[in-house]
Amino acid sequence: MSCAEERIFSVAEINSIVREMLEGEFPAVAIAGEVSNLRVPASGHVYFKLKDATAQIAAVCFRGDARRLDFDLEDGAQVIARGALTLYDAQGSYQLVARSIEPAGRGDLERALRMLLARLREEGLFDVARKRALPRYPARLAVVTSPTGAAIRDILSTIERRFPCVEVLVYGVQVQGDAAPSQIIAALDAISERGDVDVAILGRGGGSIEDLAAFNDEGVARAIHRCRVPVISAVGHEVDVTIADFVADVRAATPTMAAEIAVPARAEVLARIGTLERAAAARLEGRIETARRRVLALAKSYALGQVRGRLEHAMQRLDHASHRSARAIDGSVRDRRARVESLGGRLAGLNPRDVLRRGYAVCADASNGSTITRASDAVRAGAIHIIFHDGAAGARVEGPIIREPREQEGIQSGR
Amino acid sequence: MADEPLTFEDAMARLERIVADLESGSFSLEESLKKFEEGIQLGTTCRAFLDRADVRVRAITAAQSADGPGVDADGE
Repeated sequence: MSCAEERIFSVAEINSIVREMLEGEFPAVAIAGEVSNLRVPASGHVYFKLKDATAQIAAVCFRGDARRLDFDLEDGAQVIARGALTLYDAQGSYQLVARSIEPAGRGDLERALRMLLARLREEGLFDVARKRALPRYPARLAVVTSPTGAAIRDILSTIERRFPCVEVLVYGVQVQGDAAPSQIIAALDAISERGDVDVAILGRGGGSIEDLAAFNDEGVARAIHRCRVPVISAVGHEVDVTIADFVADVRAATPTMAAEIAVPARAEVLARIGTLERAAAARLEGRIETARRRVLALAKSYALGQVRGRLEHAMQRLDHASHRSARAIDGSVRDRRARVESLGGRLAGLNPRDVLRRGYAVCADASNGSTITRASDAVRAGAIHIIFHDGAAGARVEGPIIREPREQEGIQSGR
Repeated sequence: MADEPLTFEDAMARLERIVADLESGSFSLEESLKKFEEGIQLGTTCRAFLDRADVRVRAITAAQSADGPGVDADGE
């Protein structure tokens, strides 16, 4: 092919062709370099140059992607930018459209973190078997976090809302920066030493991997591990899992959730108390009923005269029982109180002495003391005791059976 | 600071124990009554505890916690 037929492109055409070549060839590249000429106009898009000692490339990070940056992009920062190459037709210059940017060295950091994680796991610091159960109803909590951050606000307002009857010790520490690990370690050790804290929360709002360094610190991990108080970790958001989360007894996704895990809801506890009180009252009623049935059975199976003392004692105890239970039950179980009182009333009606006072008497076989309930038995026995409310009289049965009432007794007596 | 001999957690555990005892039915009427009365008393105590309305917050400064345990200030 010769150049006889020279092809003439328009500027737009050649730019378009080069753009397609660029985009086709470099749809996803990662470029390491230093940020310079950073500009963020009102549009919110971020424009900068990536440069090294001898070269530079234009780069843009559009607003939506720029919003997701988890560190401060600034001139002089060493970064790794990932995205696609394209050509800006209006300028004929090519550029990187960066979809994500991270500080250089983060890869090293992540690698170091993975190694520490593996080492601590090997050592057993994350063993599920050593995770301690949290107390159901803590009285004193310790919170290790920044005294001015959102985390402590969230935690305190959640406790205020759910279970305000606790004491909270706030160990204010730096949660990022060089001093953070030693301050967190000192606070955890102090909490462990006190011996009067029921549960500890260690937390902060979320952040970049650099911000969370203290929560990935080996010393902090060991301080959590040796803390005698169960520790709830609460670092940022779901995506930010730190070594502290692995060592902690319980991991909460956010400080608010840590507080919800640490304390029960007051309303639920009140409901639980009510349930227990009602169960106790129901059980006691059952117990009184059982006792009542026993006394009744006793009354039927023995000569009343011989067991009167026992019966009276039993009745007295039952009266006393229903009185005491009625007195003990407070307003929260008022419905139960009414039932126990009526039970007491029924018990009083069963007192055989009261029955005898009304003019009834009981006959017992003089030879063996068994209660006589049939006329024929009375004739057969001959010698009987007639038991009145104040004592018994000996008697002989002389007459024949006059009448032997059966089931129709009620009807006959009604005539 | 109220350091009752019985903590709320202990009181709740005791109340639950009493209900379990009453449910077992293996106690005399007199014992059941005593347990019931204690249970009602515990319920009252627990409610009173829950009535405490505001979280008591104490700030423990880094220096104090570094100095040693037990040294803490009542902060507002």
